[in-house]
Amino acid sequence: MGGILMAWAQWLETSPWGFPVRTSLWLYPFIQLIHFGGLSMWIGTSAAVDLRLMGVGRRRQSASQLSEQLFAWNWIGFAIMLLGGFLLFSAAATTFLVNAAFLVKLSYLVPAALVWHIIVQRKTRTWGKNEETPAPAKLAGLLELALWLSVVTAAVLIPSY
Amino acid sequence: MYDFFEAFEQLSWVQFIGGNWFLYPAISVLHYFTIFWVVGTIALVNLRVLGLAGRSQTATEWTEQLAPWTWTAMAICLVTGFLEFAPGAGEFVLSPMFVGKMAATAVGVVLAVVVHRGVRNWDRAPAIPGSAKVLAAACLVVWFGTILLGVEVANYGFF
Repeated sequence: MGGILMAWAQWLETSPWGFPVRTSLWLYPFIQLIHFGGLSMWIGTSAAVDLRLMGVGRRRQSASQLSEQLFAWNWIGFAIMLLGGFLLFSAAATTFLVNAAFLVKLSYLVPAALVWHIIVQRKTRTWGKNEETPAPAKLAGLLELALWLSVVTAAVLIPSY
Repeated sequence: MYDFFEAFEQLSWVQFIGGNWFLYPAISVLHYFTIFWVVGTIALVNLRVLGLAGRSQTATEWTEQLAPWTWTAMAICLVTGFLEFAPGAGEFVLSPMFVGKMAATAVGVVLAVVVHRGVRNWDRAPAIPGSAKVLAAACLVVWFGTILLGVEVANYGFF
């Protein structure tokens, strides 16, 4: 299994998209910009709903209304982030595959955070109907923030491993 | 002036932060997280001005919800940024990428304030004026520019 993954990683590094990102001094930061730009839209939209669920901040709208309005840019941000992430990965796939921080980030933290995000997003439709959100909703919002914070932590630690 | 920053690096609390295995990465994580938060919420306001987001509300209502998060996150971002800067102050000030990032951030803050203040007037017009949209687009470009310069600072790694 490891052998197949490594072979795929080596192929990615020489792919028509992986190779230019890997070898170009000026292209790499632009791909990072794509990844972080998408991430900004994702965090901005997700955190706004989480905080509203936690009852923090202005209560002009219910959490479910806010979530609905931010839904499109939430997932557009995700798609952009995924694209940037895939290109960054392709550039140095073999090194990422043996990096403990990266493996923890992508194998455990991202799936956990993503699944939780989807659950919270769906539940917000009912939880967030009233101005005051129920206690489980508050905890759910806090947990989502904590999960994405842990993803960023793993990412920040990648260069150290 | 370089000597001032080099001397600043030698302060005991600066050295403590810079050498702490937990504190420095934690500050870094917070800085990254709040950058995304700042840029994301600013982008959403600009997208509203451009008519690409939050159309069920007026630009003023939309901004009133998001702006407090922008400025709260920005405060944390500036503090954590300063703490990351301090242990390598001498090297950072000599880096064109870092200086560029600071300049872009300053311009970005000014543009964000102008947009946040402007929405009230722009909503009074029959439609959001073209000049407002140009301003919003410029604001977006500048903030994504700060991210670009920021990653280059990290890529060249002074500390």
